[in-house]
Amino acid sequence: MELCRMNWVVLAAVVCTGVVQAEVKHTPEQIKFFETQVKPVLEASCFKCHGAEKKIKGNLRMTSRKGILKGGDLGPAVELKNPKASLVLVAINYTDDDMQMPPKTKLSQDKIDILTKWVEMGLPFTGDVDGPGKVAPGNGKPAAHEITPEAKAFWSHKPIKRSPLPSVKDKAWAKSAIDRFILAKLEAAGLKPSSRAGKVALIRRAYYDLIGLPPKPADVEAFLADKSPTAFEKIVDELLDSPHYGEKWGRHWLDLVHYAESNSFERDNPKPDVWRYRDYVIRAFNENKPYDDFLREQLAGDELENPTPDSIIATGYYRLGLWDDESADPPKARFDEIDDWVTVTGQVMLGMTMNCARCHHHKIDPVSMTDYYGLVAIFRDVNSFQAGHDGMSKRFNKGNYHRKLSDFIPQDKLKSSKVNVVIDENKLKRLNDELAKMEAEISKKLPGGVVDDFKYESNRVTVVRKHAKLLPKGMPKRYQKTFDERNALRRQKELKDIRVLAASSTPNPPDTHILLRGSPRAKGKKVEPGFPQIFSPPKPLIKKKQRSTGRRLAFANWLTSKSNPRTARVMANRIWQHHMGRGIVRSANDFGLVGEKPTHPELLDWLASEFMAKGWSMKAMHRLIMLSNTWQMSSAGNETALAKDPANNLFWRYNLRRQTAEEIRDSVLALVGTLNLKMYGPSIYPEIEREILASQSRPGANWRTSRGADAARRSVYIHVKRSLIVPIIERFDAADTDATCPVRFNTIQPSQALTTINGKFMNDASKVFAARLIKEAGDRSADQVKLALRLTTAREPSDEEVDWGVKLIDDLMKEDGADSTRALQYFCVMALNLNEFMYVD
Amino acid sequence: MNTESGKNNFCGRTRREFLWQAGAGFTGLGLAGMLDRGFFDNQAVAADGKTAWKNPLAAKKPHFKEKAKSVIFLFMYGGPSQVDTFEYKPKLYELDGQTIPIKTFGRGGKKNTGRVVGPKWKGKKYGQCGKWVSDLFPNLGTCVDDMAFIHSMYAESPIHGSALLMMNSGRLLSGFPCLGSWTTYGLGSINENLPGHVVMLDPSGGPISGAKNWSSGFMPASYQGTILRSEGAPILDLKRPDGISDSMQRRMLDTLGKYNQQHELKRTGNSELAARIASYELAYKMQTTAPEATDINQETDSTREMYGIGNKLTDNFGRRCLVARRLVERGVRFIQLYAGGNHNDHNWDAHGDLMKNHTFHAGRTDKPIAGLIKDLKRRGLLDSTLIVWGGEFGRQPTAEYAKGTGRDHNSYGFTMWMAGGGIKGGTTVGETDELGNHAVVDRFHVKHLHATILHQMGLDPNRLSYFYSGLDQKLVGVEEVEPIHQIIA
Repeated sequence: MELCRMNWVVLAAVVCTGVVQAEVKHTPEQIKFFETQVKPVLEASCFKCHGAEKKIKGNLRMTSRKGILKGGDLGPAVELKNPKASLVLVAINYTDDDMQMPPKTKLSQDKIDILTKWVEMGLPFTGDVDGPGKVAPGNGKPAAHEITPEAKAFWSHKPIKRSPLPSVKDKAWAKSAIDRFILAKLEAAGLKPSSRAGKVALIRRAYYDLIGLPPKPADVEAFLADKSPTAFEKIVDELLDSPHYGEKWGRHWLDLVHYAESNSFERDNPKPDVWRYRDYVIRAFNENKPYDDFLREQLAGDELENPTPDSIIATGYYRLGLWDDESADPPKARFDEIDDWVTVTGQVMLGMTMNCARCHHHKIDPVSMTDYYGLVAIFRDVNSFQAGHDGMSKRFNKGNYHRKLSDFIPQDKLKSSKVNVVIDENKLKRLNDELAKMEAEISKKLPGGVVDDFKYESNRVTVVRKHAKLLPKGMPKRYQKTFDERNALRRQKELKDIRVLAASSTPNPPDTHILLRGSPRAKGKKVEPGFPQIFSPPKPLIKKKQRSTGRRLAFANWLTSKSNPRTARVMANRIWQHHMGRGIVRSANDFGLVGEKPTHPELLDWLASEFMAKGWSMKAMHRLIMLSNTWQMSSAGNETALAKDPANNLFWRYNLRRQTAEEIRDSVLALVGTLNLKMYGPSIYPEIEREILASQSRPGANWRTSRGADAARRSVYIHVKRSLIVPIIERFDAADTDATCPVRFNTIQPSQALTTINGKFMNDASKVFAARLIKEAGDRSADQVKLALRLTTAREPSDEEVDWGVKLIDDLMKEDGADSTRALQYFCVMALNLNEFMYVD
Repeated sequence: MNTESGKNNFCGRTRREFLWQAGAGFTGLGLAGMLDRGFFDNQAVAADGKTAWKNPLAAKKPHFKEKAKSVIFLFMYGGPSQVDTFEYKPKLYELDGQTIPIKTFGRGGKKNTGRVVGPKWKGKKYGQCGKWVSDLFPNLGTCVDDMAFIHSMYAESPIHGSALLMMNSGRLLSGFPCLGSWTTYGLGSINENLPGHVVMLDPSGGPISGAKNWSSGFMPASYQGTILRSEGAPILDLKRPDGISDSMQRRMLDTLGKYNQQHELKRTGNSELAARIASYELAYKMQTTAPEATDINQETDSTREMYGIGNKLTDNFGRRCLVARRLVERGVRFIQLYAGGNHNDHNWDAHGDLMKNHTFHAGRTDKPIAGLIKDLKRRGLLDSTLIVWGGEFGRQPTAEYAKGTGRDHNSYGFTMWMAGGGIKGGTTVGETDELGNHAVVDRFHVKHLHATILHQMGLDPNRLSYFYSGLDQKLVGVEEVEPIHQIIA
């Protein structure tokens, strides 16, 4: 196979230089051989796909000698100077797994012999048919991937333009720039914006939008009591300063980069210390890290002039993908890995489906294979997940991707860092427990005097080694291994010893070629690192680094330059999306020709330009949007608007939304009073039902159920195991772990209802909730119901609503014979299922 | 499923799917055909603001008249050996024990020589078609005139993890929707009260990669497989908590309804609120319908006996096969049964002792599957039920280790069979080489199998697409794929 691959390169090179062999004369015997022996085989087995009539597969036409010598996508089918190496012979002999022709049935040996002889005699041929030009169906128009003035004029390929604010009639309502843009369109359509939302709705909306948690009754009361004009502004600023802001907005980013903590495939093993990347993201949002820096650090944090622990951890961006530790096709797996980086970077940072140009030019957008492989070349220096550069995985290789921080940054520069030196305390405890257990056992076996020596930690390994024979088989080895592992973990209390899952790289990666049909075994022309040509980018300014190519930094700098027409637009749109229920461009990951057009293009450009003008500040954007009258509209419908614009394309009202999976779990824990707000660090493992664990090939594998307060931490800290998602999170449409998720689905399924009325999580929570109600509201059910409704809805319930709840509790007791505790608990199940609780509006 | 062409209609019908994903400000798509068909008709409009919006998961018309309404995929997890089961290779018996040059690729990597393990079972010809079947399957042997064998299957990976994904979703990487998701996406579900896509696992555990095998990937979760158990509460969280009676639950749901309806009144034009209210009623109903569907005590003793229920060896798989039939009767679209779970000898993965392994796994499935075919047939359901049998790959003709009969994985050639659902019984297509190693005649990739299944369900595999990541994604990939016409009646 190696041989074949080499030849393909040679063949491809021939095509590139345009060498086509001249015609030669053949003897009548040779011609007769062709006509009687060869042609029937070709007709029966090759022409269906490589003939003149139908669509030509692989661009290879075999109905003429010229066609065969010219070849198709993979280069000439026959190599006259070296007939044995001809692609056609490789294919019919099935010597290469990727290139077997005819695909359905291998030719019999005598037919293979005939074709081999024919190739060796120099390809005698008669009756050439070149057929109609079906190889490249042209209609006179340029192909979609070509860069034309029309393509350049497409809205998202043009520079960001800050339009003047439109004039509006209702100047009182349009207090901000955003309002002007929104109102102008509404007025043009003869619509009015919805009235301002009530204060309760506003504070609840603000809490969920910014921190993903419900406001406490005291927060609501204080806000209602605050009659100053800046009351709401104060709430927004408080929330933006809350450390829980990063937990909420970090999760949006984690959806985009398909953050997961395991590798998928058979073992679906955990990615060590990947949580540090999650913490980095949360911290970045909390610190209001400028978005351009945020992108630069993830793409090229190791290539910055002064890398920081944060910027190194940020390159964990390259380590979030799938990884098969026993890939059936390692070269392909390597390009799948890079494809993931191109796909995510293209869609998330550029709003561009670059991935469509891996196997062929983009069919809709002006993106060529050269653009795609130009980006591949940018990322090519990042080592494959498992080990050394382009080194194909050794089977079951655990890899050395896991490095110490001091491998990246000189120790003397490591001093000032905000990175929390969090170590996995649970793991440390587990290891300590294991050691203690072994030590107790060992002590019993040791001779008297030695037992005293063994009391000192520093002596223990030596003692165990020396007296190995007295101990159970395997124990000394196990002891030493656990001892070392524990100490290594303990040492990580110093910054330099922190282990990180970061991108290691090489300054000299192999050349990058276009891969025909995306196959790593069909190399086309060489491609230089480059940026998508539709944007007329400058030539990459690449400065090679000691340990990397410098290409990623060059890319990141271009990406975050203010002249890039996509970067700011794409992110401004996402911020808008998470406040207003949908993006101005609904297809948030695709700003191309298949994507949705912006409903408010001028507003989007205004936001994008403002975003950059404010130093790429996320928090400034939140403030801008949340303090607008647009965001503060109520979600109420009115007949005129519903008739004219039922899909709310013009934003005449606020889009109500269901809480996300994480918000539901976190809110329930917060309401019942058990939510543990501890931040950062290794992930947690909430209890998963036995029935779900039974779906694993090793039921329970890699799931160390957390207990107590640890199990009640926020959902963003739940271990994301690709093949085993915590049911309540999975049921409510958590982001898929294997692909970038720009917009979550919002399904409504009976299985969700089953989970929230019968499931263990809700029923356990209801018990705690009931206890809280009794404790805080006393024994009267009316008071209990009132408090429950205040907590779940943030507002004062009406008397009627309180009566419904009281009646439920009474009937459960009187009619169904439940005791008062059980009845209250079941009322709590109901309270946690209220639409008013589940929805933010 | 119109396939309008041209740039403006690039996504054709799937454009709507795309819009949901783009958060169009309306939802409710998750009802997976469980709501009344008319439920959404007057409730909302599509994101373009013009088109009337219908619940996309209600039962849909196929592309053309379907042959099969339901699929039962009997997944022989681990990979049964083709030469020991259904493909007769006389020469291999003679070569037993000899070391020969042979190109193989399995868990142990690529090899160029190997010690032949002769097939360990004799066999005989059955039925009018005279199909050879090994002695592992005396009961299935009697069904051959209803079965069509494909001996020339090949796949792209001989490693469980990626091979399972390929057999289930057509790709070596996770993240793509599985076959069951594609069929429920394409056809919706015709039953309101049961999930349309069901997976029944082995008691020893799930297959490698667990839930990834029935994931809906980039499609909404409504299309993913629901795990159904043949004993105990069939679906997760279906059982009311201890101490909660039906009457208590009804009372609670009625009160919940009051609050929710009042909440909805003030928020007109938000159909998802109504959909959520309805979902509680469906959940309530499912608590009755799902246990009824899986209650095999309603079956006669003789029916239970057909499936081998009551016999220790065949009881578990028999129960699951019988439940599968009951689900088919109730309109469930796609049912997947795993024969084997966990690792190694808990499934067909016979690396060590081939005889022990295959005797066990064939023994526990032969009678139940034959019972399923016969039972469906006598009830007139076989014609509309497509049964698919096979693993993620086959096994090599040679031994994996220096000693013993264990065979390594083989994705170069293996056997699968189908029955019912418009399949031509008594047929055999394709063959591997004389050693049973590589598929050589009429080779069929996994995608041809997928194309055949979709085709029998009335779906054109080259038209059934879902717009995602800038592409019209298809189960069978970009290039056109023909179903296996030779086995279609």
